[in-house]
Amino acid sequence: MTSTANRAGPRPLLTSDVAVPADALSRLAAHGNQQFEAFFERLETVELLPRGASNRLRLRKEQGLGVRKIENGRSRLAAADTISGPAFAACCDRVAGTSRSIGAAPPRIRTGSWPALRLAEIEQAESRLTRAVNRRRVGFPMEITARRHRRQVQVVRSPIAAPPQFEEYFSLQVTTPWGVWGGLLPSLADEDLDPVAHCLVDRLCSRGLPPHGHAPGVIVLGPNAAAVLLHEVVAHALEADTLGLSGAPDHVVGLKLGGRELDVIDDPRAAPLACKRSSDDEGTAVISRWLLRRGRVRQPLADLAWAERCPGMIPGAARRASRHRLPGPRTTHLELLPGTIPETDLFAEAAGGLYIGEFDRGNLDPLDGRCVLRAPCGRRIGASGPVDHTGPIEIRSRAVDLLAAVTAVADRPLAGGAGWCAKDGAPMPVWARCPSIRLEGLQVAD
Amino acid sequence: MKSAPLPGVRSLRLALGAVRERTGATGAELYVKAGNTRRIEIDPWMTPVTADPDDLQAQVSVLDERGWALRAGGASRALFLADSGPLPEPNGWRRLNRHSLRPGSLRLPAARSGTAPSPAADTGEHSPDDEEAAGLAFLHDLLRRLGERMPEARLVRGRLDSGASAAVLASTTGVTARSGRRLATVELDFAASRDGRHGHCRLYRAASNLHLLGADAIASEIAERLTLATAPAPPFLPAGEVAVSPALGCNLLALLTPLLRGRDGWRRLRKLGAGRPLGPPQLQIVDDGGLDAGWMRAAFDDEGVPTRAVALVRDGEPGEPLLSWEDDGWSGFAAAGCRRRSGWRALPELCHSHLYIAGTSESAESIRSGIVHGCYLLDRVHDGRCHATFEASTNGGPGRLEEGRFEVDAIGLVIRRGEVLGQAPRVRLTGSLRQLLQGVRAIGDDLRFLPAPGAVGAPTLLLTGLQVEAVG
Repeated sequence: MTSTANRAGPRPLLTSDVAVPADALSRLAAHGNQQFEAFFERLETVELLPRGASNRLRLRKEQGLGVRKIENGRSRLAAADTISGPAFAACCDRVAGTSRSIGAAPPRIRTGSWPALRLAEIEQAESRLTRAVNRRRVGFPMEITARRHRRQVQVVRSPIAAPPQFEEYFSLQVTTPWGVWGGLLPSLADEDLDPVAHCLVDRLCSRGLPPHGHAPGVIVLGPNAAAVLLHEVVAHALEADTLGLSGAPDHVVGLKLGGRELDVIDDPRAAPLACKRSSDDEGTAVISRWLLRRGRVRQPLADLAWAERCPGMIPGAARRASRHRLPGPRTTHLELLPGTIPETDLFAEAAGGLYIGEFDRGNLDPLDGRCVLRAPCGRRIGASGPVDHTGPIEIRSRAVDLLAAVTAVADRPLAGGAGWCAKDGAPMPVWARCPSIRLEGLQVAD
Repeated sequence: MKSAPLPGVRSLRLALGAVRERTGATGAELYVKAGNTRRIEIDPWMTPVTADPDDLQAQVSVLDERGWALRAGGASRALFLADSGPLPEPNGWRRLNRHSLRPGSLRLPAARSGTAPSPAADTGEHSPDDEEAAGLAFLHDLLRRLGERMPEARLVRGRLDSGASAAVLASTTGVTARSGRRLATVELDFAASRDGRHGHCRLYRAASNLHLLGADAIASEIAERLTLATAPAPPFLPAGEVAVSPALGCNLLALLTPLLRGRDGWRRLRKLGAGRPLGPPQLQIVDDGGLDAGWMRAAFDDEGVPTRAVALVRDGEPGEPLLSWEDDGWSGFAAAGCRRRSGWRALPELCHSHLYIAGTSESAESIRSGIVHGCYLLDRVHDGRCHATFEASTNGGPGRLEEGRFEVDAIGLVIRRGEVLGQAPRVRLTGSLRQLLQGVRAIGDDLRFLPAPGAVGAPTLLLTGLQVEAVG
């Protein structure tokens, strides 16, 4: 079956001329230090709960706008839950601090129709996932909640308007008698549901096993787990606001964080098909950003405000959870470039160690740099690769120690490790593409 | 900008009629909510508290939120639809039709005596224009007072929200309700270094009004916590008595919430007692949606069911369970209004509003000074452990914790006969949930509420039979 996400986006969010609000914003600036930006947003979430749940189908739609003034690194934001000329004018008045700041008559702003609802793919998710599990010759009770998320964004920053952005992706929550699996998927096609079935069967095999206690000498992380590790210890650690907690963010450029095999990129343009971005949530064009180049820091993630404070930084990584939140520097799509070692060789030198296919939780303390990663299960590595299943594993280590422990990167990258990043309580979807990696000399804590 | 007022109940009834006509639903309910928030955020830049307040990178947001939610359906087909903006006009429901309802079910509470419209005010636009100036003045005052106590403290992050909301609800079963609420919350992260030791603390406080937050009291709390967090670890920790402050007591009570709501919670609570009292006779645990002066106070919950005080633990014995209207009459217990929505996008869910351990007449000071040899724990460590398990977990459970146990990382003091022997920057308080309740030896008179979510309150508690060990 082909991917259901590969289809043309809907009509642009704004059907009226975007030059009109751009022109209105240009009239607001009292002097050259002031920048004004309008953020138009439309969100739709369709949720289908397991059979038997009350209000099984839940449809949430919302749209609104936010107008922001940036002056000397300080922001002033006014947001409303509707898209219209009067709401735009009122928000402009609030950030400018005067009435009729853009003239006597509000501009004409119109929105396009909502995309078609298309419920069939969500309704089929349960049966498709059940079939994917059954293909592995197992079966167990599952309660599946499937959601489709759509987001349309239009940013207008005087005097130009960025291209409209559209994202569509899916999230699944699968409840089994031995725990809950949750994650993001670019589509509900078989090729995306198959890895989910693999994770569920791994958890089935490791149910009831005690937590893994002793520290193995070698750990091999599969692509999903490697993506979560890099998300925490590279992407989060190199977000300008995180770096700002311990000093000037641009001072880390050139710092050696890992071995020469670590080449890490953040590139929103390379995200899964329906989630690609050409501009960020401030309307700045996104770039393929080298976070680590041969283990050294090249370019931290920055938005406009941090780029203004630290001139060496490049904006283009701003994301906002909603029109009611200010943007901040965040990762979107993380890539670890492949190494030269075949995956079989990665395991051959790791016999007696531990294979971790996925982490279900990760956390980085931005003040002391300590990282906690939790895997619901793992597998002992035998002579031929991963063999016996083990119980939950928790890795506690300093971020720099985790990166220093990476000794090999496999040659076959896979999309995986997508999930919700909940930094500062603002959940955002993040994507990744990584090969397996091998770590040596780490401690596994209780 | 003056927001449009909330629609009247008559408008909601007209809309409900249009929805029923178009979809054929046997029942429907509309919930409309509007609110405004002024938010001041301090950027993470490790600002010293003694810095010029004008140097703070304060980001100000003025947010208007408005949305509605529709539930429609019957025994076999149902729909939940939520949208932002004003409620559509009666002819604005054209997109709905009989196919909009999908397999599922909908039950709505029936109107009861007492569910007449509440006189609660529409507080959606009551924020004064100087709220922003007052918020900045509060933060500046707090930093100044903290600077006087602890000049080495640094502000890592700060967020002050102040706002008001109003909601109106109507259903085809005859339920109508209005509610309004004002709330101010402050969330602060501070760090400090003393003698090469680094420590940080996080505080989250709420009040029904910005002026009730109290900059001096919060500055004092932060200084106290940072002093402890940067202290050297004590050479030994005494086993025995543990007094916990209201702040930590709230965290411990919040851990117990799965025991204190719904039918499942009631069964677990009864099982926890195992035929013996749950705690001492002075132990009272109450949930009260209509608590006077509570910042969540409302005459009705978010389904229009009247709220009331529910004694979950009465005189140390299980009292009555917190049941929603759907479980009214279960095991002979009456329901209470306890289903709340986290916003207009959310469905109502069973949750606490003001959950608290009632204070007694014993002074908190006498409890602290009466510790023969033990610890006085002030607050949890925000990046430490704080969890409990209620059922055996095969996968997905927190760490290695066994069933029916809890563990909390906290900061505190080592005390002997009322004298402070040392400081404890990080200790782990662990034990069984049963012992947590049965080990309560004294309850103070200084009941205090913290945002949890909802409001959770506790006074100073003296606990015995728990384990305290140094961490890290």
